[in-house]
Amino acid sequence: MTPALDINALTKRFGDKLAVDDIALAVPQGSFYGLVGQNGAGKTTALSMAVGLLRPDSGSARIFGQDVWADPEQAKALVGVLPDGLAMPERLTGREVLTYLGLLRGLAKDVVTARAEELLAVLELDQAEKTLVIEYSTGMRKKIGLATALLHAPRLLVLDEPFEAVDPVSAATIKTILRGFVAGGGSIVLSSHVMALVEQLCDHVAVIDKGRVAAAGPLDEVRGARSLEDTFVELVGDQSNGIKELSWLSR
Amino acid sequence: MAVALTMAQMKIAVLRHSLRGERAQMAGTGAALGACLAAGTVYLGFQGADLLAAGYAVWMLGWMLGPVFMGGGDETLRPEYFSLLGLPPRRLAAGLLVAAFVGLSPLVSLVALLGLVILGVRLGVANTLIALPAAVLQLAVFVLLSKVSVGLVGLALRSRAGAIGSGLLNGAILAGLGQIWVFFWAFGQIGVPSAVWYLPSGWGVLAVQGQWWALGALAVLVFLLLGAWAALLNRRAGAVRPATRGRRPMTASTPGGAIVAKELRTWSRDLARNHQLTFALSYGICFAASPLILGWNGMLPFAGPIFVVMAAAMAANLYGTDGTALWLTLMTPGTGDVRGRQLAWLSTQAPIAILLTVAFTSITGGPWPLILALLAALLGGAAGLVPLISLYALVPGTDPHRRAGNPLRTTEDDGGLTGLAYVMLALVALTGAPAALIALRYGWIGVPAGILTGALYYWGFGRLAERRLRTHGPELLNTMRTGRKAETTVTSRYDSLSKKQKTIAWWCLGFGAIPLFPQGIVAAVFVANDMLRHTWFLATYMPPGLRYPVAAAMIALGLTMYTVGAWILKSPKPPKTP
Repeated sequence: MTPALDINALTKRFGDKLAVDDIALAVPQGSFYGLVGQNGAGKTTALSMAVGLLRPDSGSARIFGQDVWADPEQAKALVGVLPDGLAMPERLTGREVLTYLGLLRGLAKDVVTARAEELLAVLELDQAEKTLVIEYSTGMRKKIGLATALLHAPRLLVLDEPFEAVDPVSAATIKTILRGFVAGGGSIVLSSHVMALVEQLCDHVAVIDKGRVAAAGPLDEVRGARSLEDTFVELVGDQSNGIKELSWLSR
Repeated sequence: MAVALTMAQMKIAVLRHSLRGERAQMAGTGAALGACLAAGTVYLGFQGADLLAAGYAVWMLGWMLGPVFMGGGDETLRPEYFSLLGLPPRRLAAGLLVAAFVGLSPLVSLVALLGLVILGVRLGVANTLIALPAAVLQLAVFVLLSKVSVGLVGLALRSRAGAIGSGLLNGAILAGLGQIWVFFWAFGQIGVPSAVWYLPSGWGVLAVQGQWWALGALAVLVFLLLGAWAALLNRRAGAVRPATRGRRPMTASTPGGAIVAKELRTWSRDLARNHQLTFALSYGICFAASPLILGWNGMLPFAGPIFVVMAAAMAANLYGTDGTALWLTLMTPGTGDVRGRQLAWLSTQAPIAILLTVAFTSITGGPWPLILALLAALLGGAAGLVPLISLYALVPGTDPHRRAGNPLRTTEDDGGLTGLAYVMLALVALTGAPAALIALRYGWIGVPAGILTGALYYWGFGRLAERRLRTHGPELLNTMRTGRKAETTVTSRYDSLSKKQKTIAWWCLGFGAIPLFPQGIVAAVFVANDMLRHTWFLATYMPPGLRYPVAAAMIALGLTMYTVGAWILKSPKPPKTP
């Protein structure tokens, strides 16, 4: 079966720094795929290249077989993206953002209206009907971002740190939505540095370290008998020094 | 003092890191221009105290209005960085003031203030000694006035009424300065107006001339301004609060309609854009109406066209001000983002421009063909160039939700933004030229010519902009995300040129406008109207038989320079997509 997302030999260099070094990943259809790595490991860069937001120096990315760079219109219609920390049309309300994007995605007006209504209600954004996105809190921004990713009912979701700054109640709602999406045959790629979250949600995992794939595959194969955290620290941690303490703080 | 020194060191460190590559070149060019102006001002020190005081008045207005007009002034060190340190406001302001002295603009201004020393040396030893503290205090007054005026406008931009009010006021002031000759003429003023002595910019000169109290007055003013700035820093908290009225539902039902609806909402809700629009409007009206003081209404009909040009310059960084929201456009390719923005720009600005033009031209009773031709061409030209220039020369903006308390500050690269605005002024004005020339020569035929050229600009430039967005979208997003131009895999033809070719292309494209417009077209118009021996227009100084040939030769030279420049840069290879 064609992978939902097929990343092949993606490489990106920023100046002297090799941010992503020949990464290859295949995300099977129907899988919940976690991408873990330290800050600056290259997760965001890799995902940006995979969905067509950053031009790779070399390599390719395919979404359900459609090349993201050669055939962007087809490929991008199949994916919903939640990038980390990018702006939105800031002077629109949440409902207006969804209407605007739904129309851009080519949905019919009544479909957009109904879906926007439901998304705002489920994500508890319907209280802030008059609030512009620029006035949203960080957690609300994540939620409206997720709503835009879900709006056109894509078959693949690529989510960069979707749970950051989201309150526990909303996080539980989002988890339920995402699990339901996978149960219905959808595929998700999610990046995070919260190991417990990835263990709880994902069935596949890839550990990214210094721009390369350190380990990848079904969750149980990657972590073996240990916890994901132990595996992760062993794979990417600096063994020589171990975990350091602040001598002046822990008197 | 420790705080101040630390802040100064921080500023030096930031400047060292940020002044690299293209930005360093831009800053270098700006500093070189500034140094020329400074040298000119120092030269005034040899000419006389009157002229020097007038020169410093211009510098002071530059410090006050420049940041308000574009980019919000230097904010390398934002006050927000220090908000958790619990510094008393006055100490924070003093520290930021010391840091504000670090930089190219203060350095250039200090060079200009050496004119005080020159004046002192000519007057005596005591006068020379007083000149040094006078120069430093004068610089402090410039910097502080700049900070306080930016702070006041920032405060005004918290409400719609304030945004509109300050836009009207700033536009009127800038237009008044542009038309200052009208006021000189009206008041029968010959030479330097005595007002320059009352402005704080003249106090340094007064002190050097032996009126010692002026030095004390400068010190008191610094103290008062510091207090005012500290108070303003205290008031400045978080992001701008946009107006929150009832929201009308979005009625659009197509992708194009959605883009227009989004843009229209941004135009009406973003107070910085409200400010820009009223600024351009006020500038156009005041610039065109000020000769009425002399009883001459011939410029009045041009209010609309001037408004269009200024409004386009204000929108020069259209894509940059939206920041990384561009990612949504990239994720929905083929939806006509450029066309939607063009349409929205036209539907906010064109009604105002048309109304203004029709009303004012009715008052004067003409010249209808010229004005209508010009208006149509300029509207099309502006609506075409705004997206095109903002995509080709994108100045990375700060994402709206990450901006600090200064709503005028939409980017960290205000030098680039100012440059872009001037480029836009020149280019949009240029788009009106063909139709205006036809209208001047053949009358009413100019109007269809204006409509036709306007439509062509709208369509053609928009198409080029769409192409740029399609081929360079990810690079533009990366520029916006990182704040610097991407080291792209799409090679530009310019990069593959030899150094010599680059220099030639740069000179040709950079200075081709000088022979073409002022020395060519404008000079020809002057000659045609018998306006002879006019300032620096060479053709107007020529003997009768040589006037038109000289202007024609200048036009030819300008066109040749553009052709050579374009030829060197011609036929860029289609971008490679890996």
